[in-house]
Amino acid sequence: MHCNCGNTKLLIAAAGAVAASAFILLKFCRKKKLTFNDDSNVVYLVQLPRGKRVPSISPFPLKLETYLRVAKIPYENVFSSQFSTKGKTPWIHHRGTDLGDSQFCIEYLNKQFNVDINAHLTKEQRGVARAFLKMVEENLYWVLACARWVFGSPSRAGFPSSMNSLVLYFIQRKVKQYAYAQGMARHSAKEVFHIGKLDYQALSDFLGDKKFLFGDKPCETDCGVFGMLAQVVFNQPDSPHYEVIKKEFPNLERFCWSMREAYWPDWDQVLEKA
Amino acid sequence: MGSWLSRKSKFDDTSNTVYLMQMPRGTRVPSLSPFPLKLETYLRMAKISHKSILGFSLSSKGKIPWIRHRGKDVADSQFSIEYLNKEFGVDFNAHLTNEEKAVSRAFLKMVEENLFWVLVCYRWFFMDPKDFGFSKPIPWLWLAYIRRMTRGYAYGHGMGRHSEEEIFHIGKLDLQALSDYLGAKKFLFGDKPSETDCSVFGMLAQFVFSDTKSPYCALIKKEFPNLERYCHTMRDAFWPDWDDVLKKGSS
Repeated sequence: MHCNCGNTKLLIAAAGAVAASAFILLKFCRKKKLTFNDDSNVVYLVQLPRGKRVPSISPFPLKLETYLRVAKIPYENVFSSQFSTKGKTPWIHHRGTDLGDSQFCIEYLNKQFNVDINAHLTKEQRGVARAFLKMVEENLYWVLACARWVFGSPSRAGFPSSMNSLVLYFIQRKVKQYAYAQGMARHSAKEVFHIGKLDYQALSDFLGDKKFLFGDKPCETDCGVFGMLAQVVFNQPDSPHYEVIKKEFPNLERFCWSMREAYWPDWDQVLEKA
Repeated sequence: MGSWLSRKSKFDDTSNTVYLMQMPRGTRVPSLSPFPLKLETYLRMAKISHKSILGFSLSSKGKIPWIRHRGKDVADSQFSIEYLNKEFGVDFNAHLTNEEKAVSRAFLKMVEENLFWVLVCYRWFFMDPKDFGFSKPIPWLWLAYIRRMTRGYAYGHGMGRHSEEEIFHIGKLDLQALSDYLGAKKFLFGDKPSETDCSVFGMLAQFVFSDTKSPYCALIKKEFPNLERYCHTMRDAFWPDWDDVLKKGSS
């Protein structure tokens, strides 16, 4: 007669692991119903919890929140893993309207609050600003996504505590899939680094000695560029990307500090305590 | 995909000819993909001896176009250009200042990583398949398969999460940026074309010459006529045999 003790123990262990995983995943993904005051003019910015080294470990919430500060629009953060109707974060809620995508949010807020932080740019400069915004958000973004999630094991250093290893595992799976779909993950790690370096070169050469991309006043693209470069400069001090910025493009680090000091004087206070 | 044997027989690896692997010709544009058109325009601009091999032989990265030169395969249009610049001592950005080179890079990426996906979503999700400029209609099974695959890719990229109107709006902003920067200039940076002109032409030619029933073509004609003018300038300068190429289906 067969002894099934080994199989039973295996089954119990597997069931336990599944239950534990489900509990940990649910703890992060539980959709607490969000409530807003639709009578007030406050913009609710829904984003992931704070990082330990940057206010957001994703460039787009950091871009959007920086824009809100530059434009002096009253806002309130709602830290939640609830995603927009497009399945992404950040998103905003304002007077009963939910809106996803950081750039659509900025366009909406420009209209609602009669704001235009690009007003000081010429038509030609606006064209260039658009080009740099897209370079950073549609190219450099994928370089950094691959560096963090596709090549090697992602580190939790600097991440919010609520993002445990299991959550990171699922994020990594999704990002690998998306990065292959977009195209960047078809390249080798060396090729991706080369692509990123060309973007840093372009940003650095265009910025030159200027305080912000187009002079002494920041524009929308400065918010986008800051959101992206801050991930490297402040959140990944051990990465080869930071090393190349420090060594070859120091004005990009100087730019990050200019934006941080001007619009995030409370930087240290907002971070999750390590 | 071509087998190793059939790939080998097409090339003479002792010659200096660059073999350009690309899809079969379109009926209204030499390539219905912006990247082969970009790369072939670059080859013509640089006067590099080249031969197009038309088919669906994919690169090591699973994409098209790719090149072969003296036994070396290079995938990706931009890596191909970097390789060819070195091999043939070419630099179409030599006349640009550092700041202009930076702007050139930014526009290259805007067009290839953003406007490209506007084109992809339009063609595969919203355009009438009869308007495709292929010489034969796409079999419905292939169409369904490509659409399904493209939906996955576009969703992963992000563009596929937007509505048709939102995608059009994003495309319009990119076209606006190109038009405002080009202004009255002959090419993006003046009277001499640069590398980015090859790419911008490769992309805009899709709307201006091939997808003529699209809202993007109508928009360019109405609000950004300098982009149409620019496409004709590039075509006249580097594709004087445009009509012959379309007729013969090879270069």
